[in-house]
Amino acid sequence: MPVTIIMIEDDEGHARLIERNIRRSGVNNEILSFTNGNSAMKHLFGPDGTGLAQKGNALLILLDLNLPDMSGIDILKQIKENKYLKASPVVVLTTTDDSQEIKRCYELGCNVYITKPVNYENFANAIRQLGLFFSVIQVPPAAS
Amino acid sequence: MTAEGRRRRAFGQILLFAAGLVVLTAISAGSVYLVNEARNDSKWVVHTIEVENQVNALLLEVRRAESGARGYLLTREAGFRTDHEKAVAAIIPALDRLTRLIGDNPAQRQNIEQLSAAIETRLGQFAREIDFVGQGQPEKATALVSEAASAGTTIAIGSAGSAMIREEERLFQLRTANADRSQTLAASLTGIGSGLVVVLALISIWLVRRSARIRDEAEAQLRDANVNLEATIDERTADLREANDEIQRFAYIVSHDLRSPLVNIMGFTSELEELGKDIFRRIGALTRVPAGGPPVEAAEIPLDDADKQLSADFSEALGFIKSSIARMDRLISAILNLTREGRREFQPERIDTRDFIEAIVSSLAHQAAEAQAEIHIEPLPNIVSDRLALEQIFSNLIDNAIKYLKTGVPGEIRIRGRTKLGYAIFDISDNGRGIDPRDHQRIFDLFRRAGTQDKPGQGIGLAHVRALVRRLGGTMSVSSELNAGSTFTITLPINWNASNRNADR
Repeated sequence: MPVTIIMIEDDEGHARLIERNIRRSGVNNEILSFTNGNSAMKHLFGPDGTGLAQKGNALLILLDLNLPDMSGIDILKQIKENKYLKASPVVVLTTTDDSQEIKRCYELGCNVYITKPVNYENFANAIRQLGLFFSVIQVPPAAS
Repeated sequence: MTAEGRRRRAFGQILLFAAGLVVLTAISAGSVYLVNEARNDSKWVVHTIEVENQVNALLLEVRRAESGARGYLLTREAGFRTDHEKAVAAIIPALDRLTRLIGDNPAQRQNIEQLSAAIETRLGQFAREIDFVGQGQPEKATALVSEAASAGTTIAIGSAGSAMIREEERLFQLRTANADRSQTLAASLTGIGSGLVVVLALISIWLVRRSARIRDEAEAQLRDANVNLEATIDERTADLREANDEIQRFAYIVSHDLRSPLVNIMGFTSELEELGKDIFRRIGALTRVPAGGPPVEAAEIPLDDADKQLSADFSEALGFIKSSIARMDRLISAILNLTREGRREFQPERIDTRDFIEAIVSSLAHQAAEAQAEIHIEPLPNIVSDRLALEQIFSNLIDNAIKYLKTGVPGEIRIRGRTKLGYAIFDISDNGRGIDPRDHQRIFDLFRRAGTQDKPGQGIGLAHVRALVRRLGGTMSVSSELNAGSTFTITLPINWNASNRNADR
């Protein structure tokens, strides 16, 4: 079962840069892009909101915290509280580098927290590292 | 209470006291005068009584002479004659005395003239009577007595005497009345004066009480005003703090949101750069294509001069964009760090300042050695403050001192400390290039620098240091001349606690 990368990122430029760099690192998995919280939630939790729709799917979630319609923290919290989704690794990728925020994300169960650097070298590097991480990580299918 | 009113009241009180003084003086003078008058009047009363007595004494002597003469006439005893002569001898001095006493009164002088005349006549008659008796002609003497009686000499003496006594009695009445009047006047003057003094005293007491009341009221108002002022200050302080927090939040959000597009700009600029390289490589390849042949495959294909120029311009433009973005990113990061510092809660702890500064100096030892700078630490007062904040303050200042030394001159940096009124004062002085006095304010502004720009820096250090010092309830200042070294002076409370900060902000 191939792993699907779910990218929740409101800035399309960022999304494009992330996608490009993931591809450059040799990750060819399907990437699903969402530009707002609600459409991502609908996809993840299904029309009934239980997450049953993703049962058995292997997902890797890339999450931005600053979304126009809802807080990324809320999405993280709901994912980690859902019995079908909580095993999916969540990578928070955002501009916020406030230590309180980072701590909160890890407490809520985020697996990796990356601050988007303005320096593109660093940015590309970080994403490529992430790609490397994706290729070695064992993504368990959503719990049955 | 206006100053004008206060002055007027004070003036009124002075006036009142002056009036009291005048009244007292007047009473005293009046009393002295009236008492003198009364004494004078009494003297005259006594004088009148004396005159009366003298008249009576004179008349008595005349009677004695008369009775002595009659006795002698009847009995011819020498004893009566001696009596008579004694009385006659006393009459003239008594008359003289009386004349002296009533010398001031013309009416009495007239009376006394009549009296003296009558007495003289009678004395003459006495002498003749005695002579006749002595010559043994008693009937002639008896005839003289009856002549005297019929001529009224004795009556004349009596009536003149009683006229004098009447006159003196009249004078006595008059003078007694005068004396009474003087005394009554003195008494009433004293009474009225005392009354006036009492009234003035009452007015004074009233005025003093009124001014005391006004003062109490003013004090109460002042107290109220103070309380209000404190409340107002608290309110303003709260407002300021809120505004400050608002600015901090604003700066934080803005710098974050500015960063997001910057990631895109930087990212796609870099992408564009890569793209540019690809494009120029292809241009190079295409220009080398022999007609009809396959494109040349090579890692590095040299470009035409014109194409090379284009490629260089392209790279240069992108380079400017990238360096600007990098700079903007640094500024945003600086703002973010400042706001983060501004939100950090201070943890006061006791700091052994000397050890603390030595640690900072040793961490800067490498830079100091490179700049050939020597750092001297003089005795420093220990303080209770936030360690991290102090570390940033001192390391920034010492770092600056090392950074801006004069090239070619061995640096000498000195850290001094002293205490004053609950504050510790630290001086960090150097013999470096100094700061133009015109720039003394500017160097504390964010992103502003002064002097020769030959060292890397963002213009953040001093702004940050000053913000920290202020938050710690202190002040900082600089004294410096161009090419004459600089001294940065920091004043910090010896015992920092949260209330220092509140009091200061």
